[in-house]
Amino acid sequence: MLDFPNDPNMRLRNSSVDGADGSQLFEDTSGAGSASQAGFPGQSLLSDPMSNLAMAYGSSLATQGREIVDKNLDRFIPISKLKYYFAVDTVYVGKKLGLLVFPYMHENWEVSYQQDTPVAPRFDVNAPDLYIPAMGFITYVLVAGLALGTQNRFSPELLGVQASSALVWLIMEVLAVLLSLYLVTVNTDLTTIDLLAFSGYKYVGMIVGVVAGLLFGRPAYYLSLLWCCAAIFVFMIRTLRLKLLSEAAAEGRLVRGARNQLRMYLTMTIAAAQPIFMYWFTYHLIR
Amino acid sequence: MSGFDNFNTDFYQSSYSVDDQNQGGYGYSNTENPYNKPYGQYDYSQPMAYASPGMMPPQQPYTGQIFQPTQTYTPSQSQSMYSSSFDDEPPLLEELGINFDHIWQKTLTVLHPMKVADGSIMNETDLAGPMVFCLAFGATLLLSGKIQFGYVYGISAIGCLGMYCLLNLMSMTGVSFGCVASVLGYCLLPMILLSSFGVLFSLQGMMGVILTAAIIGWCSFSASKIFISALAMDGQQLLVAYPCALLYGVFALISVF
Repeated sequence: MLDFPNDPNMRLRNSSVDGADGSQLFEDTSGAGSASQAGFPGQSLLSDPMSNLAMAYGSSLATQGREIVDKNLDRFIPISKLKYYFAVDTVYVGKKLGLLVFPYMHENWEVSYQQDTPVAPRFDVNAPDLYIPAMGFITYVLVAGLALGTQNRFSPELLGVQASSALVWLIMEVLAVLLSLYLVTVNTDLTTIDLLAFSGYKYVGMIVGVVAGLLFGRPAYYLSLLWCCAAIFVFMIRTLRLKLLSEAAAEGRLVRGARNQLRMYLTMTIAAAQPIFMYWFTYHLIR
Repeated sequence: MSGFDNFNTDFYQSSYSVDDQNQGGYGYSNTENPYNKPYGQYDYSQPMAYASPGMMPPQQPYTGQIFQPTQTYTPSQSQSMYSSSFDDEPPLLEELGINFDHIWQKTLTVLHPMKVADGSIMNETDLAGPMVFCLAFGATLLLSGKIQFGYVYGISAIGCLGMYCLLNLMSMTGVSFGCVASVLGYCLLPMILLSSFGVLFSLQGMMGVILTAAIIGWCSFSASKIFISALAMDGQQLLVAYPCALLYGVFALISVF
């Protein structure tokens, strides 16, 4: 026997109906509420005021949740600071790629400032950006997949393995540089994201080497990799010199002193680590 | 029911116009006599009466008796309201949000990469067209014997997420995920041409390589053109086109190999 006041189905569907008001002998299948335009049966779930309340609460909860996520995300990953590194345009990217491959003719490596804040990469070719490293990383993973595919060693899991190992080594490199900067107590305005950007520039050379190797064979791979390694070495030295060394040493004058020597060694080590990584990550792709 | 006047431009502003007056009268805001829906009074012989009894003013106290159908509202009034609501209710496609005209317009924008795109066409997030294109792409792959729907969906999801992050970081105004998914889905249309071509001819020769490169270029060019015009980014078209080209390159890899 159907028990109206306590029947959960009844209560759910017509929860607005008071228990005593058991005027229905059978289930109410009509739309009991707001969907006056729909007019179809079966709208009762949406039109029920309790479920309206639930929906309103749910959507406000979702908005609140979203705000919390945004706020916390901003605390861990500073979105506005990241936006600075992506404020690039095509001309900048073209010039920067040219610099990464051929840094020998460039004269002025200073980052220009505008009232204490560095100028956006769009306006200054010396400023670091994150677009090139990000695109370089993704392209590297895809080109590695392509290279493995031509050797018939491809599988989608391998792509993930390549991507994660490259990412982990990148993070470790950035952490190592940060640690060494801390130990040497260099007073510099290099931020973590700057270091990430500089470490990411080597992917460009790696991609050039691998593509050359895929198209023209092993000798081409070695030649292009050699060229790119030299280029990135010079690029890093010239860029970091201005940031890490003191003013005088950066201008090229000989400054004696243990601290400056230490900083010079640090710069050389960071710059030398790049070609090593470049070779390590690409040699197994060209067989 | 505001959407019926300006059907073409403000299509999506016609939402289901919830009858707020009746909403306000319902249970949680009205403590006096909230729950008085005389359900027993339906006239089931008339299909029109299926519409809600909420049309009636909810302030009416229930004066009937239990198990006895009583008329506490004038049926004629409610029926006329029901009949008008049934006639005035929006057609099914509009309720679902599928506007064939807009879908066709957007498809034409993709198919003419040289034509300048209108920035406002992407104001409505329309995922029906992209869904159709994804399914068509999977179907043409199926025709060449590759059952790889999973890869198509997975790659499109990851690609959309990546583009969403990148575009939000690169543009001044943000962009919503639905908009990104919609644009990328629409520009998948030339890829369907490639895979249907691959059903008949092998794509692994020199001609296949050239065709693949051309189609990837076409897809990414249209996608970047739409993004640039919708987000008002200047001097960044190639920068937006490159990640799109990577994404469509992966799709092309699926259809070629």
